Order: sequence, then C-alpha cells, then structure tokens
Amino acid sequence: MALLEVRGLRKEFGDVVAVDGVDIKSEEGEFLVLLGPSGCGKTTLLRMIAGLEHPTEGQILLGGEDVTDLPPRARQIAMVFQSYALYPHMTVARNIAFPLKAQGVDGPERDEKVKWAAGLFGIEHLLHRRPRQLSGGERQRVALARAIVREPSVFLLDEPLSNLDAKLRAAARDDLMGFQRRIGITSVYVTHDQVEAMGMGDRIAVMRDGKIRQMGTPEEVYHHPADTFVAQFIGSPPMNLLDWGDYILGFRPEHFLPEGVQDGGDRVPFDFFVNRIEYLGSERYLYGFIPGHEETKVIAMLPATVTVPLEEQRQHRFSVASDQLRFFDKDGGQKIPPQTIQA
Amino acid sequence: MTTQTAKKPRYLADSPRFLAGLFMSPTIIYIVALVGFPFALAIIYAFTDITTGDPSLEFVGLDTIKAVWNDTVFRRALGNTFWFAVISNLFVVILATGLAELLTRDFKGKWFVRFLVLLPWVAPVSLATLTWLWTLDSVFSPIDWLLRQVGLIDQNMYWLGRPSLAFISVVAVQVWRIAPLAAVIVMAGMMAIPKDVHDAVEVDGAGPWRRLFEINIPLLAPIIAVAVLFGVILSMADMSVIYVLTRGGPTHRTQVLSTWAYFKGIEGGALGQGAAVALFLFPVLVGLTAVILRLARRREVL
Amino acid sequence: MVPRRYPRGFTRREFLYFGGAALLAAACGPAADVTTTLAGGQGPSTTGMPGEPQISFREPTQSISGELNILLWSHFVPAHDSWFDPFAKAWGEQVGVTVNIDHINTAEVPAAIAAEIQSGQPQHDLFQHIAVLSQHEPSVVDMTDLVMEAESRYGTMLDLTRRSSYNPHTEKYYAYAPAWVPDPGDYRKSLWEAVGLPDGPSTYDELLEGGSQIFSDQGVQLGIGMSQEIDSNMALRGLMWSFGASIQDADGQVVINSDETIGAIEYMMDLYSNAMTDEVFAWNAASNNQGLNAGTLSYILNSISAYRTAQDDGLDVADDIYFTPALAGPETAIVASHVMYNWIIPDFESVNVAAAQEFLLHYTENLAPVAWHSKLYDFPAFPDRVPELNNWLDNDPFGSNPPTKLQVLKNSTDWATNIGHPGPANPAVGQVFGESIIPVMFAEAAQGNMTPAEAVADAESKINAIFNDWRGRGLIG
Repeated sequence: MALLEVRGLRKEFGDVVAVDGVDIKSEEGEFLVLLGPSGCGKTTLLRMIAGLEHPTEGQILLGGEDVTDLPPRARQIAMVFQSYALYPHMTVARNIAFPLKAQGVDGPERDEKVKWAAGLFGIEHLLHRRPRQLSGGERQRVALARAIVREPSVFLLDEPLSNLDAKLRAAARDDLMGFQRRIGITSVYVTHDQVEAMGMGDRIAVMRDGKIRQMGTPEEVYHHPADTFVAQFIGSPPMNLLDWGDYILGFRPEHFLPEGVQDGGDRVPFDFFVNRIEYLGSERYLYGFIPGHEETKVIAMLPATVTVPLEEQRQHRFSVASDQLRFFDKDGGQKIPPQTIQA
Repeated sequence: MTTQTAKKPRYLADSPRFLAGLFMSPTIIYIVALVGFPFALAIIYAFTDITTGDPSLEFVGLDTIKAVWNDTVFRRALGNTFWFAVISNLFVVILATGLAELLTRDFKGKWFVRFLVLLPWVAPVSLATLTWLWTLDSVFSPIDWLLRQVGLIDQNMYWLGRPSLAFISVVAVQVWRIAPLAAVIVMAGMMAIPKDVHDAVEVDGAGPWRRLFEINIPLLAPIIAVAVLFGVILSMADMSVIYVLTRGGPTHRTQVLSTWAYFKGIEGGALGQGAAVALFLFPVLVGLTAVILRLARRREVL
Repeated sequence: MVPRRYPRGFTRREFLYFGGAALLAAACGPAADVTTTLAGGQGPSTTGMPGEPQISFREPTQSISGELNILLWSHFVPAHDSWFDPFAKAWGEQVGVTVNIDHINTAEVPAAIAAEIQSGQPQHDLFQHIAVLSQHEPSVVDMTDLVMEAESRYGTMLDLTRRSSYNPHTEKYYAYAPAWVPDPGDYRKSLWEAVGLPDGPSTYDELLEGGSQIFSDQGVQLGIGMSQEIDSNMALRGLMWSFGASIQDADGQVVINSDETIGAIEYMMDLYSNAMTDEVFAWNAASNNQGLNAGTLSYILNSISAYRTAQDDGLDVADDIYFTPALAGPETAIVASHVMYNWIIPDFESVNVAAAQEFLLHYTENLAPVAWHSKLYDFPAFPDRVPELNNWLDNDPFGSNPPTKLQVLKNSTDWATNIGHPGPANPAVGQVFGESIIPVMFAEAAQGNMTPAEAVADAESKINAIFNDWRGRGLIG
C-alpha cells in the first residue's frame, strides 16, 4: 500500500488549470521529487497535499485514508517553505516547539523533543537566538527541525535550498539527503533545479502545464525521457534533438563522440561541423551542426579523457552508439520505438 | 569634469543644497504655516487674556491657565478625555483586529464588505454623526424600537439624556468611526506578514486562537501600536462626534477638552482660556506619542 | 427658491443648523452659501401677495462707494434670504456700492467673526449674528451715531434691543440691533383642551398641573429642555426671571445665589419628575421643534419657525399649534427674546464703515418688508417702521388657521426682555450663556447629582469667575 497517494487531482484557479489530473503513488520512505519549470503546478500540487489548497477534483490519501477534506493540522504532514517561514518574534527553541504546543505536547516531553530535533541538525547552540540573528543555512536547519519535531509521516519541502548560495546549497543537499536516509521518512520535494532533482530523488515526477509528463528514477527520466520536453528539460546541456524526416532523433551530448574514441558495438556515424569549442577543464563543449540539418544546433560534450585533436570551423566525423539514440513522434513529441536510421 | 566644477556648480539648479532646500520647502512651509504657527499662537494665547472680540495681546502670566484649572468643568473634561480615549481605543483595537482578520480572508462579496467597513471612515464625520444623532434619538431611536419589539425594554433608553448612557453612546460612535482606519492599518500589517508564515502556522497545526494570540497579535503589535496612536490622538483632538451628539452634556458628563476648548474659547468668547484648555492636550499627546513610538521600536528589534 | 424639505418638517437650513452644522458646512463647502446673484438692474423678488410692503429708499447722507461685504446667517425662514440678497444688491446699485453677501450657517458665525477679527484684516465690512456680540466691543465701530440717526428718523428704539447692543458701563453701542424675534410658548391646543386649558397654560402652576396631567393621561410630555443648547438656556432664564431670580442685577453684579433661584430649580425638578423624561437632557436646539411637529411634545418655548415649517410641509399638527405669551411665575411673566440680531462693523482701516452704516439705515427703513419676507419671524426694534404689523398678526397673511393665531405676539414687547435682564447683555452674560451654566445648574439638581442649593453655589462660582474676568477687561461694571 502506498503511503501517499494522489488520485486524479485537479486544481483550477478561475480559468487557469494549475494541476490537471495528477496521479501519484509514493512508497514508504521514498524521496519523491516534483520537478518542472515555474508555473508547471508543482507547488500547487504540494500545497494540496499539505492541505493548504483544496483540490477542485480528485483525492489525496495518506496511509490509505482519504484526507482530501481534512485541514492541514489533521494530516500527519510537515512542510518546509522556500522562505523557511520562521516566526520572527520567537526564539529558535520556541519556533521548534510551536508545532508541539499546537498538538498539546507539554513540559519535559516537549523540551526533550526540541532538543532531539535541534540535535538532528546540529543547532543546539542556536536555541536561544531569534531568526534574524541566524545565517541562511542556520535558518534552513531551524525550519527543518521545526518540521521534523513532531515526527510527521510525510515531509513536504518547497524549494528549501533555493535561498542558499551555490556552495552552501551543495552542502545542504548532502545534509538533507543524509538526514532523510537516516529518518527514512517519505518526502515530497519540489524544485525547478534538475541537478537537485537528479541528485536527490529516488523518483522524479517531471511536470509541465499541470500534468506529470514522466515519473521514474533519475536514470529512467535521463536516459529514457518520455517525450521531447523531458529530454530537453533534464540534462545540461540538454539532449540534442534533430528533425529526422519521419521522426525526431535525439541523443545526449556526452554520447556524441569523435570516430575512433569508442569502438565496437553498433555505432551510427554523423558528420559534425564544429563552429566553436568551449574548454571547461573537465570537459570540452563543441557547438556546431550536422550538415543537412544546419537549422539545429548540436552540442557534443567530450570528457577531458578524450584528447582527440579537434579544430573549429572544420567538419569532423562523429558517431553515437545506436542504443543511445532516442526517437520521438513528430506530432506529440512522445517517445517511439527505435527506428532504423540512415546517417 | 574636474573636481573644481564638482565643488562649485555652475548653475544653481546643479547645487544639491539648493535643490534640497527647494524640494523640501513645500513641506517646511506647510508644517510651519499650518502646524507650527497655530500651535505657537495657541501657546501665546494661553498666557494672555485675549478674547474673540479683542485681538490685543496682554500677557497675564499663568492667570489664564490657573483660571482654567480651577474650573470644575475642566477637571471633569480632563477625566472624560482620558476615559473617552482609553475606552474607545480599547474597543477599537479589538474590533480592528477582528475586522482586519475578516478582510484579509477570501470570500464572496469581499469588496462589498470592505467598502461597508470603510464607510464610516470615508463618510464626512458630521454627516455620519448626524445619522447617529437620529439613531440615538430620545423618541425615535431605532435601537429603542428594536429593544421594545423584542421585549427587553418598555420605556425608551434616552441614550443621550442619561449621563452613563450618553458616555457609552459617544464612545460607541467614536469606536464606530475610528475602527475602520485602525482596521485598514492592521490589515496592511497583516498583509505584510509573509503568506508562508500563515501557511506554516496552519501546517504546524495551530487553531484560530493560537494563531491569533501567538502569531498574529505579537507580529502585529508594532502596527497595532501605530493604530492606537492615531486612534488616541483622533479621540483627543477631534471633537466632532461629541460636538454633534451631546455638546458635552448632559451636565458635562461627556465634555472633553477639545469640546470644552471650543465652548470656552469660541462660543464663550474667552479665546485665551480656550487655548489654555487645548494646550493641556499637548503634553498628554506628546507623552503618548513617545510611549507608543518607543514600544513600536522595541517590537521592531526582534 | 423652494427650500428642500427634510424629515419631520424641517427645512434644510434648520436641519443643518441644529445638527451642529459648523462641521457639516465645512464638509459640504460652498453648498451652505446661498448667495443669490441677480442680473444688473433687476429688483428684489416679491411674494406678489396683497398687502406686501414696498421697498422704500432714501439717499445716503454720507458719500459712499467701493465694496460692501456682508456676512450673515442663513435665515431659518429661507424665503427671507431669497428676498434679502436682491434687496441688498439693488440698494448697492442705486448708491454705487458693490454689495457681496455671504450666508453661512448660524452655528459657524461666531467662529467666523472671531477668526476675521483675530486676523486683523476682516474680509467683511458688516457682520450679523442672531445673538449678542458684546464681547467684540473692543474691536468694533461704536454705533452711537448710527443709533441716533436711526432714532431721529424712525422713532425710539425698543429698550429690549437697546440693552442688547449698548454697554452702559462704557457708554458705547458695540452693535446695532434693529430687529428681534419673540419667543412665545407653542402648545398643542387639542391636548390642553383635554385638561381644561383650551388657551394653553398662562402660569407656571398651570404648566405643571396641565402638563403633568397630559403626560399621565395622554402620554405626551412637556418640552422645556435642560440641555447644553440655546433653547434650554432661553427657557430656563425666563423661568428664573418669572420666579424673581436672575444671574445679575441691573448693575451687572452677580446675584444668582438666591432663594428665588432655588425656588425655580425646585419647580423645574417637579416639572421634570411629573411631566418630562430624560429626553430633555439630550436635546439639541432642534429637538423641541422636532418633538412639537412630530406630536410628542405638548408645549415648548420657541419662535414661530417650527410652526411655519409645519405649515409649509402641510403637517396636520400645524392647525393644532397655538401660542401663549410668557408664563406668569410668582414674581412676573417674562421670557428672553428668541433671537436678537446684532450687526457689527469691525474697526479696521480696510473696512467700508460708511457703506455699512448706510446699508443698516436702509435696512431699518425697510423693516416692514423684512418682517413680511421672514413671514413675521423678524420683529422690528423700531415699531413705527412696521405700522401694519399688528394687522398682519390679527390676520396672518401666511395662511394660519385660524388667521388670528398670531395675535398673542402683538404685545410681545411687554413680556420679552434681553439676555442679562435686568442688566445689559454684557460679554460676561454671553459667556455664561455660551458655557450653558444655567441649564447645567438645573440639570445637576434634576438628575439628583446636587441639591438645588449646591447646584446654585456651583453655578455661582463659575459665573463669578467669568464676571471677574470681564470686569478685569473693563467691559462690565
């Protein structure tokens, strides 16, 4: 039985359909990421799970129980907000204790739990401070501690890392993952950052226009994108997509290699005119096009280990392993079975 | 450009000092002409025996102020002013917080309710108070009618004829009048609280009371202090409600300093004494302002 | 101009005035200003009714020119203003003076006069108010010459108005008072018939007995206020005088603390507990008029304006309203005038004194049209100028039923006196009036907050302070 289940969930704001028929089943202890560009409905979906928005249609089940019409406080959930939403007039200790107080947890038990939660995130020394006296990272930990303190069955996170600078974010991501694995709590994590999603998610639900376009492990959504949107949204640089007659042909930049770098297996050769080369240390990016498809920019990404000399403004011979080629329907952009290809 | 030209602008309009003076001058002229000058005049008058009929200033030291102080009506007005301001604003705060809470919610016809709530504030005070004059009429009061219909009274209440009821009435109308302003101020404060905080409160499982007393009120305390400041100043300095409803009666039970200053200074002709009465408001208002601003600042440093 | 009607038989003006209109007018702006502008050469409007007196004109004796700016109230009888403005402007055209008229709500007039005089540069050359302006004596033109000229032309001025414009202590006319308004009792005949007094009460004893009986039998109370407003002030002074009490004596000495005052208070306590409700403490100046016209009061002390409004509005109660002269008390039977017109000319260089004086003479010359167009509200201080007045009162040209109803007013000078009686209407008396010390004195006793003696002592100390204050300024003896 799924711990968290969402059935046919739909949310309209006036004429705008924010979430358009979403089904999710999440397993116990799973880290599920909702990924998508801004406005795709991922935050609305999260807020409906939290109970902060009421769905227009559909059901939300927690542990098999229909909670669609229950207010947030009646659901066993906790949420971490993008801004952390700490209570500015309370000390860290009181912030963390607040959900316990609301639950009627009193006295020593409450103090103990506050200490426990603070300990989880290493913020015991901050308990007497107020939010404005904390750094961004510290605030985030306080927000997490406040969310976890009453041991919810589901943990909802709304872009909790987006207010941190890049360096801190990597560390925080690591902390967060470590914590989640330790506690083993079912988590739903909203982000627009595909790196975060790939790095953290047990499964990723890629959303666009209120719909889930693909749901799968990071490997699945990366290597077997369900459509051209997922193919381009995930991966940096994104998958190269070429109009190839009856269908759309796709391959990842890192699979687009000069002839002779990787031999054996079934490879499909391409001519590649290189316009420009970007040297980034650990890798080289090659920007160009495939003759006959000049309108589409193609990128190749070569790891530093590939030392084949390549020149700009020259045509080179490249190839892609045929099992790394992806095919999409020209009309809907949906994935189609492998096709034979004439290079 | 050399540093020379930067120091000495070629044109007047390039001089920051000139421009600053120029742009500030309307405000300064306004404050001096409409606030400073009348205020200075009031202070001067309070030390003279000036009357409405005789503009010559003859300084009499503290005689005028002593005469005012020795008047039992003044003492009563002083006490009334205090209680009028304190009691009305107590209710104003409660009402305004409730109204603001209501108005920040989403519901159908919200704009209309907002409009209704703001109406007492946007309606000309005297016109609105005239409506109350009728509402509290000794014979035709619709409140009395209602109370009679439900059998609570068999005689009229004479809202403005009985001392304690008259005081309750002027307080009620003052609350009715100021509450919208306070509600709007508090509402602005509420909307300044990030939505995430409200969501967090809900997810954290707090009920309406906890939300009100542990989150909203502490967070709104500074802005409520501002609303109270305005409310108290309005209650003390603005005489329109009492002037129209009771003219200070019955037997001066609703007389406050602002109305007494008017009756003494303008209708009675003793301008100097009227100014002295009004002047007693000044230290009170300054003191209140200082206290409330200090409170507000303390809350700000969280 | 047809005045707009407001509920319960009030013209817009009365409604505004009584409602504390100083503030209202400020909120409404120029709406309160009813200045009429006439095309050049056009004369004053007429009622076109038979018997209407004509405007008469005499050449000014001084050479006058320039502008004459007049500030006066918006009359309770609106017809007066629509007649007055063209009348004044037409005079201006005849004599070569540009006349500008501003009507403001009467509640605003004291503040306006005070502000203009304090400024040192009054915008008006002539102010009129409906109460005594004695406190302005130090800054206004002495009207002695004008009064002498008027008396030489039009006969002796009434003592009542003289004492409301002349300061015997300084021997100066601080104002010119060419007209006044009587303050009869207005009673509901049908109610008083039922208690055997078809002509209404004629004494305070009858008022108490009849009023109490009407209250207990018919549930309609008396309308003598004890509130901080003008009508209560007027009514209670009349009561005091008729009981032999007064605030000051003829020489301006405070004599309020007397057995007679206590007697008046005790009478009022009786009247309150037997024939009135707490309503009388709540009143503003409009309340007794409203109550009379709404049928909730059996007797009030007021001018005929409430009655005229009832007539204009076609209220049934109009035919039931009759008038009585001042009620007799143990000592005498007098009441205060309801309105006392005071015209003042501020004493400043910029003021067109000559034009103002000449206009006042012209106004006095035409007191007959003044009385007519105010529908017999305004009474002349120079009775010789309105020889027809008694005929009009015998047979009201403005539709009374029966037309003899106003006859009572014919000898109103016999029972009317000035504020400050038996002394002059000096500024101390004016301040006592403005602070409503007399109604508060009565109310404190009636509400049981003080004994009558305590209430009198309390009032006396306040009145003494005021008198001493003005004595210090040399304006009273």
